[in-house]
Amino acid sequence: MAGAAGHFGGTNKAGGRVGTRDPWWMRWSLTVVAVVFLAVMLILPLVIVFATAFSKGWSGFAAAIAESESWSAIKLTLLAAAVSVPLNIVFGVAAAWAISKFEFRGKDLLITLIDLPFSVSPIIAGMLFVLLFGAHGWLGSWLAARDIKIIFAVPGIVLATVFVTVPFVARELIPLMQSQGREEEEAALSLGASGWQAFFRVTIPNIKWGLIYGVILCNARALGEFGAVSVVSGHIQGVTNTMPLQIEILYNEYKFVPAFAMASLLVLMALLTLVVKHGIEWRAARSHAQAVDETVGAAATA
Amino acid sequence: MVRGKRHRVLPGFGLTCGYTLTYLGLVVLIPLATLFLRTSSLTWAQFWTTVTSERALFAYKLTIGASFLAALVNSVFGLIVAWVLVRYRFPGRAILDALVDLPFALPTAVAGISLCALYAPGGWLGGMLQKAGVQAAYAPLGVVIAMVFVSLPFVVRTVQPVLADLDQEVEEASASLGARRWQTLRRVVFPSVLPSLLTGLALAFGRSLGEFGSIVFISGNMPGRTEIASLLILTRLEEFDYAGATAIAVVMLGMSFGMIFVINVLQTWSRRGAV
Amino acid sequence: MSIEIQGVTKVFGDFKALDQIDLTVPSGELVALLGPSGSGKTTLLRVIAGLESADDGSILFDGEDATTRHVRERGVGFVFQHYALFRHMSVFENVAFGLRVRPRRLRPSREEIRERVMKLLKLVQLEHLGKRYPGQLSGGQRQRVALARALAVEPKVLLLDEPFGALDARVRQELRSWLRRLHDEIHVTSVFVTHDQEEALEVADRVVVMSGGRIEQIGTPEEVFHHPANEFVMHFLGNVNVFHGRVEGGKAVFGDVAVEHGEAGTATRSSEVEPLDDEAKPAKVFIRPHEWDIAVYRNGRPAMEAVVIHVNAAGPVVKVSLLSESGEPVHAELPLEHYRSLELRTGQRVFLSPRKVKVFFD
Repeated sequence: MAGAAGHFGGTNKAGGRVGTRDPWWMRWSLTVVAVVFLAVMLILPLVIVFATAFSKGWSGFAAAIAESESWSAIKLTLLAAAVSVPLNIVFGVAAAWAISKFEFRGKDLLITLIDLPFSVSPIIAGMLFVLLFGAHGWLGSWLAARDIKIIFAVPGIVLATVFVTVPFVARELIPLMQSQGREEEEAALSLGASGWQAFFRVTIPNIKWGLIYGVILCNARALGEFGAVSVVSGHIQGVTNTMPLQIEILYNEYKFVPAFAMASLLVLMALLTLVVKHGIEWRAARSHAQAVDETVGAAATA
Repeated sequence: MVRGKRHRVLPGFGLTCGYTLTYLGLVVLIPLATLFLRTSSLTWAQFWTTVTSERALFAYKLTIGASFLAALVNSVFGLIVAWVLVRYRFPGRAILDALVDLPFALPTAVAGISLCALYAPGGWLGGMLQKAGVQAAYAPLGVVIAMVFVSLPFVVRTVQPVLADLDQEVEEASASLGARRWQTLRRVVFPSVLPSLLTGLALAFGRSLGEFGSIVFISGNMPGRTEIASLLILTRLEEFDYAGATAIAVVMLGMSFGMIFVINVLQTWSRRGAV
Repeated sequence: MSIEIQGVTKVFGDFKALDQIDLTVPSGELVALLGPSGSGKTTLLRVIAGLESADDGSILFDGEDATTRHVRERGVGFVFQHYALFRHMSVFENVAFGLRVRPRRLRPSREEIRERVMKLLKLVQLEHLGKRYPGQLSGGQRQRVALARALAVEPKVLLLDEPFGALDARVRQELRSWLRRLHDEIHVTSVFVTHDQEEALEVADRVVVMSGGRIEQIGTPEEVFHHPANEFVMHFLGNVNVFHGRVEGGKAVFGDVAVEHGEAGTATRSSEVEPLDDEAKPAKVFIRPHEWDIAVYRNGRPAMEAVVIHVNAAGPVVKVSLLSESGEPVHAELPLEHYRSLELRTGQRVFLSPRKVKVFFD
């Protein structure tokens, strides 16, 4: 395989399997189409972010980030993530436990409900909270009488972020825990472990990587949510602006360098997410291959 | 002796199921119910005039049309990308493979401004297109481009595992029976990835329907030309026309829920096909 | 510890997995639950363990009601079909788990734990693999780790679910005799589930044959093999030729052959047959392949004529396929020496007389 890596046109993974090899012109043209498509759609947008962010050099970049409004946006974004991620971790683990370890009626419906926030447009998600807590909302006058501000204030931003990130951890864990079954937990109980002991000593180590993956996806969305937060924020600079909202304002004010400087931070976060994701997948694939190898080896030497 | 309560060996069902339902109820279901209750405060006639206003009708048409086009573009290119990533080896393949997930991880606002900058009349790609007489940004084409970006991973990621699991012996069998390579691809490979391709298409379409962040920048938001449904809802909200916003939101939610149903049916189908 | 199962019933939806099961396992015995898939054997094992609750009936351990006792408190060692080893723990940690999760006041010291785990690993001949992870072991090794882990908590009952199901034939054979020796050494009351009749007959003190959620027969391996209680057991414990015939005047009649039950001194327990009744009663006649005598000439014994179709002489026992005159396929087995002295050829006409038949009325 390594020897063939020099051809840009690509070689068949099948290697020696002549029967399933595509003709060279097909390999070549399909590879070019795929690479160009991905380069234009995915790589160019990344390039332009950094190119613009650093168009005035490091100092321009640093100055943009150092602005006080940018700082408060960063802090608010981190706060929203710091609240919503832990909440959705607890929720995701609880939901996955209930769904994967027990049989009950309405399980499929419950899974669909958990996925629901994915299907709700972010604008509608934000709007739900305006309808509930806004000035003209259901609880609006009650809240106003008690001087509690949710919409156009930090609590609304946190709520909207929680809503859009509900499914992430749960939907990573549910299929994983379903595939692992409940035998290991049953074994732990039959050996005298309590429920919590089985959970912390057996379940958690088994789902560790899936959990981490769910958490970073949840985190990426929490940091980057735009539509839902935009509806409930009121765009008060320095108070209720998150990073994506700040980017919008800067961009609309034609402050391209600061806008893209902020954007570049979020791009780094996204790239880090991808690195962690693929690191976990690579690790899983490797440990699986290793297990298979060593089983074969052990069986051969036994 | 008969026990009424079914005893479960593993503990925690009551706790976790109760917590799950309570949390979902508070965070998701009650807010959603509010929306539908709000709608019921409208009379049927009011609702109908709101959701069928000329501006609203145009917004649906644009949203649905552009989503469908974007899903179509992604089906064609997604299938090619999946095939190339699974079957061919070339330098940089692993990095491209990893990058496919970028739209899942990249905040939509960031995608929005960088796409806008790229396709704006003076931008890197916008300039080239302009010379060819095509306007991308601030035109319906821009909406499609943004939707292609955000829904790009769906087709690739649903087709890819199916292609990877495809038993190459089946292709060899086809070849041994005298089929030419393209006949094998068309008659053996394509039918087996078709269910997952359609699932990916539906997922991509559903994602585009609700997309907002990446579109608002590049579209220019001109009512009757580039205004998508999500944006119309936001505009109504900002005018404090809650009734109008709610009515259009209900229509959009109805479409999304319809897509959930379609996707479920498609997934059942592709699982059945998976043998 | 003895186990008593009284009237246990378990229903999954519309499926009755266990139907009024009564069974007693005496202390110190090694008992096999034998049956095809869906016979309820695994469910019964899980009910005994407390991993599944019975809908009706009770379980007694040493005469004490344990029906509602949680699996944690039952003191059973359960070996899962796919081992259920904790994949993130080393072999040593897997075996030590049951000791480490004890409440502090009951927990042995680190040294004691170490000592006991090493002793167990020695017992299952894995003392050199303590640091390995389950993913790095062969199937047979995993099986033994699972056993050591179950034994670590000093269970009063050892329950094994298809202990050799996932292993290849050679390893399975080895582990079988190893399990038998191990049981003779530690003498803990053990119940294991299997669908392999050979395994049950070879390893167990007592075999419980199950089908459709019911117990068909309980007995020693000899009893169930030589004196099957009914057709199901007869079929399940090895190949058998079946003829539709009748019982008349105390003789089993099929085709033009009439033989006595209990002929040639190998008495079958023929309580089902009432010898006084001279009236013909339709019945099924069962003959095991190794119970045929094959002769080249008619020798006065009642015999059926058949033609040799195929001979498989690879092994100490020669398998002969024949076709009877009435067109029924017949299977016979005979020792290699005997086969050589007969000089059988394909297409040859021979005479088959049963040494022993078993009759069940329709």
